[in-house]
Amino acid sequence: MFKDFLEHIFPRLILEKNLRIRYTFCLGGLAFTAFMLLVLSGLLLLFYYQPCPEKAFESILFLESSVPAGRFIRSLHRLASHALLVLIFLHTLRVILTGAYRKPRELNWVIGFFILFSAVFGAYTGYLLPMDQLAFWGTHTGMELIGTAPFGEIAARFLVPDDVGRPVSLLRFYTLHIAVIPLTIAILCFLHFYRIRHDKGVLPYL
Amino acid sequence: MEKVGKSRRRFIKAVAFVIASVSLLWKFFIPRISEKKPLLRVARADIPASGALVFRKSKVAFVKKGNDVYALSLVCTHLGCTVNVTTRELVCPCHGSIFGLSGEVLKGPSDRPLERLTVEEQGEFFVVVS
Repeated sequence: MFKDFLEHIFPRLILEKNLRIRYTFCLGGLAFTAFMLLVLSGLLLLFYYQPCPEKAFESILFLESSVPAGRFIRSLHRLASHALLVLIFLHTLRVILTGAYRKPRELNWVIGFFILFSAVFGAYTGYLLPMDQLAFWGTHTGMELIGTAPFGEIAARFLVPDDVGRPVSLLRFYTLHIAVIPLTIAILCFLHFYRIRHDKGVLPYL
Repeated sequence: MEKVGKSRRRFIKAVAFVIASVSLLWKFFIPRISEKKPLLRVARADIPASGALVFRKSKVAFVKKGNDVYALSLVCTHLGCTVNVTTRELVCPCHGSIFGLSGEVLKGPSDRPLERLTVEEQGEFFVVVS
């Protein structure tokens, strides 16, 4: 099974027609590039960020004022996250407009939906981490919103066990943001790529 | 023409790339740690009960107001001249800005109060850190 997976991720040959840029605009690939950029810049940010409420904002001020290229790396992370969301939405639009969600690619549509959801959730969990006013109130209103959804109370209690901006909830957002969500997105992405090759690329719509 | 292998060229390029990225990363991992140096040490007894103790060279004035002791920077927030301290106010000789003893602006052209420096109490001494 694993060999089958690898052979689809790294195929011996690809149809030239499948690479026609004007059909897909490589939006999915660009989104994945943004994701890789996020992983790299996020990895660098981990060296300076401190996930406790008193230190979080201070550590970001330190990063921006005293670390060479610190502000650049942080801006890169922020811009790449915007780019990822925009590109994923455009990619979804392309898939809808070309009808690529139809048989036999329904499963990949579902996987893609979960990637989209994880990306939005990842962006949201990253929102609280700077612990400035925008982060605090943004998360506060977000939690109120989640509470109105069905089963929202349970979700809110899982995300914010003490209160928004308190140690445990900050640590929880942090863990989700740096470990759980990126790992989920990476696994889903490779599953996504496997399914593309398995369904013989974007053919026969070309 | 003789066929030249490209592997050496590629290897040198790879090494150059690795060296460049490692040295950039190394810079990122060495932050500028600002060490706080004591700028001025003043004995508690030296500060007058009213008015201010002025250090013209280091451009600092110690002011006592009630039990509160603070250090004002004497650098004018307008264009950086050193202000003169009188018993009731601080006057800038360059463009005539006037500040109160707490550093607040009484008269322009300056529009920001004088900067307050961090004062640490160390036993019988007050220490200004920069």
